[in-house]
Amino acid sequence: MTRRRLDFAGTWLVAGAASLCLAALLGLFALLVACGFAPFWPAPVEELRLRDGSVLLGEVVGGDAEALVLRAGETDRIGAGYRRVPLDAVAARSRPADAVLFVLADGRRLFARAAGAEPAVPAAADGAPPREVLAVNALGPFERLGVFARRIGRFLATPPLASNLDGGVLPALIGTVVLVLLMSVIVTPFGVATAVYLHERTGPGVRAVRTAINTLAGVPAIVYGVLGLGLFVHGIGAGVDRLFHAERLPLPTFGGGGLLWAALTLALLTLPVVVVSVEEGLARIPASLRAGSLALGATREETTWRLLLPAARPAVLTGLVLAVARAAGAVAPLMLVGVVKLAPALPVDAAYPYLHPSRQFMHLGFTIYDAALASHDTIRGVPRAYACALLLVGIVVVLNLSAILLRNRLRERYRALET
Amino acid sequence: MPGNPVTYEPQLSGGLASALRVRRRRGRAMAWLVGAATASVLTALLAIPLFLLASLLPWQGLPAQAWAHLGVLLEGTLRAGLYAVLVAVPLGIATAMFTAHFCAAPLRAWIKPALEILDAVPTVVLGLVAFATVAPWLKAHVATLLALIVAIPAVLLAAGFLFGARVRAEGWLPLWLLPLVVATIAVAAAVAAGRHDAAIVPASPWNALLVGLALGFAAVPLVFSVAEDALFLVPREQTQAAFALGATRWQALVSVLLPAAGSGLVAAALLGASRCLGETMIVLMASGNTPLGGLAPLEGLRSLGAELALGLPDAEPGGAAYRTLLLAALALLVLTVLLSSLAGAVRERLRRRLHAEAAPT
Repeated sequence: MTRRRLDFAGTWLVAGAASLCLAALLGLFALLVACGFAPFWPAPVEELRLRDGSVLLGEVVGGDAEALVLRAGETDRIGAGYRRVPLDAVAARSRPADAVLFVLADGRRLFARAAGAEPAVPAAADGAPPREVLAVNALGPFERLGVFARRIGRFLATPPLASNLDGGVLPALIGTVVLVLLMSVIVTPFGVATAVYLHERTGPGVRAVRTAINTLAGVPAIVYGVLGLGLFVHGIGAGVDRLFHAERLPLPTFGGGGLLWAALTLALLTLPVVVVSVEEGLARIPASLRAGSLALGATREETTWRLLLPAARPAVLTGLVLAVARAAGAVAPLMLVGVVKLAPALPVDAAYPYLHPSRQFMHLGFTIYDAALASHDTIRGVPRAYACALLLVGIVVVLNLSAILLRNRLRERYRALET
Repeated sequence: MPGNPVTYEPQLSGGLASALRVRRRRGRAMAWLVGAATASVLTALLAIPLFLLASLLPWQGLPAQAWAHLGVLLEGTLRAGLYAVLVAVPLGIATAMFTAHFCAAPLRAWIKPALEILDAVPTVVLGLVAFATVAPWLKAHVATLLALIVAIPAVLLAAGFLFGARVRAEGWLPLWLLPLVVATIAVAAAVAAGRHDAAIVPASPWNALLVGLALGFAAVPLVFSVAEDALFLVPREQTQAAFALGATRWQALVSVLLPAAGSGLVAAALLGASRCLGETMIVLMASGNTPLGGLAPLEGLRSLGAELALGLPDAEPGGAAYRTLLLAALALLVLTVLLSSLAGAVRERLRRRLHAEAAPT
C-alpha cells in the first residue's frame, strides 16, 4: 500500500512541475499585461501635507517601507521632479478634485490646483501648447478609459521625446517591421531552395547541408552579430564604401551598422527555422501526388515547382511566420549591427529610393533594453520598457499562434488528401 | 541528379520534341539554381567559424591581462549556465515526463503549444522582468526563495502520498495542482512580505541566482520539447507490456520509459545547457555585468555574450581589445556547438534505435 502511495507521490511531483510551468507562464503574461498597460492609465494626483507645513502636489510613482517617491512638477527639465518623501514626514495625503495635470509637448509633467478658476496653462520651452490638460481626480471611469485609449494611440503613432524616455514608439515599431520584412525577403528564397535540395536529392551533399543547418540552429545569436559586424560591416560594407561612396569617406555609408546588414544577419539566424519547416511540409505531402505527377509526364522539376511547393505553401508560410517571430525578438545581434537608441531618420520615407538600407534604425526590443537599463531615469524608463515589452510580446505571440493554427490546418488537409 | 529509373524516350515529331527539350533544359536550370542557392547557404554557414579564425590569424598574441579577463568571462558564463541548468533541467524533464506519459490528450494539446509560446517570448522581455520586477523582490527574499524550492516539491509529494488514491483523473492533475502550487507560492510571499531576510543578504541585487532563475525559465521549453519527443517516441507496446505485467503508470515510467529514452533526456539537458551558455540578453540585463570569477551564487557576473554585446561596437577593428572579443566569440561558438552537436548525435542514435525496435520483425 505504501508503495502505491509513493507512486502517487511521484506522479503528483511531475504533474506539479507541469503546473509550475503553467503558473509561471500565466504569471508572466499577467505581469506583462498589468505593467504594460499601467503607464497609460491616468494616475491620481496626490497632495502631500508635510509636518513642516509645506505642501507637495504630484503623482506617487513608487516607494518602500520607509518613504514615498513622488513625481512633483518638472519645472526645469524632464526627470527633475522626483522627491523622496519619508513616510513619517507626511501629515496628510489627499486627492484634491481640482488638481490638474499638464503634460507638456516636451514630455514634462506639471501639476496645479485650479481652485475654482480656469488654471493658467504653462507652455513648453518652445511655446508649444501642452499635450494633455486633465483634471485627473475628477474624471469618471469612462473618461479615464478615454484618456487610456488616447494615450495608447499616441504611444503607437508618435515619435519619441526626451531621448527616448517619453513620447511614442512609432520609429521603433517601423524599424522592427521594416527589418523583419527585409529579412523575410532575403531568407525565403534561400530557405525554400535549401529545403527543396534536402528533399529532392541524396548523397554526401545532403548530409553536409543537413549537419550544417542543425549546427547552425545551435549557434548563439550574439555570434551571428559578431559575424554581421566583422564580415558584413567591417568587411563587405567598408569595401562597398571604398568602391562606390569614396567621396564621403571617412564617414561610413555601408561601412557602419545599418538596416541591410542587420537584415542579413537575422536572415542567417532564422534560416534553420525556415528550412526545417519547409522540409517538414514537403515530407508530409503524400507520395501518391508526386507519383501521379511523374506518371503524367511531368519532369522532376515541374513536379517540385508546380505541385509540391504550391501544396507546401502553408508550410512555407509557417516557417516564415516562425522566422519573423524569432527575428522580432532577437536583440543581442542587433546591438552589434546598427540598432540605435535614437535614429535621426526612418529607414523608409518618401524620398527616393524610399528604402534606405544603409541607415541606422530603432527597434522595439532594443528600446526595452535601453529604457530599462541604459537610461538615467528608471522611474520613467521601466514602465516605458514594460509598455514596449507588451507590444513586442503581443506581436510575437500573435505571429506564433497563427503559425500553430496554420500548421494544424495543414496537417488536417494532408490527412484528408491521404484518405 | 538521378533520373527516373526507366527512361522512356518517345519518338516525337519536331514541335513536341523541341518543347520537351525546352522543358528539360528549364528543369536543369532550376536544379542548378537550387544547388547554387544551397551552396551559398553552406558558404554563409561556414563563414562564421572561418571568419573568426581568419581574423585571429596570423596569431599576434594577447596581453596577459586579456587572458585573465577571458578566464573570468568564461567562469561567469559557466556559472550562469550552471544555475540555469539546475532550474531548467529538472523542471523541463519532469514536465515532459508528465506530458508524455500521464497527460490526457486534450490537455497535452494545450500544454505543448503553451510552452512553444513561452519559447517565443523574446529574451529581452524576460531580462526586463528579471531586472525590474524579480530582482527588487529577490534582493530581500533569498531565504524565501530557497524555502520555496524545498517547499513546493515537499507539498506536492505529501499531497500525492495522502490524497493520490482519491484522484481518478490523473491526466488532468496539473490543472488541479495549479491552485496548490500558486497557494504555496502565495503563502510564502505573504509570510515574507514587508520583511527583509536577514539570514542571507546578496552581495548584489543582480546576481547569479537571479540569472539562473530567468535563464533557466527561458530554457525550460527547449528542454521540455526535446525530452518530450524522446519519451513519446518509445513504442507504446513497451509500456503496455509493463501494464500487462501489473505495473502502475509510475512504475512503467520509471522501469520502462526512462531507461528506454534516457539518452534523449541527456540530449535535452545538453541542448538546454548549450542554450543557457549562449543566451545574451537575459544575462546582460540580470547579471549586473560585474567581472567576478568563482561560483558564488549571490554575486554578479559577466558572461562572454554580454561582453561581446557591450564591448564589440566600440572596439577598434584589428586592435588587441577587438581580437580578445573575437576570441571570446570563438570560445562561445566552440562551447555551444560542441554541446549541441553532442546532443544531436545522442538524439539521432536514440531515434534510430527506437525506430528499429518499433519496426515489425
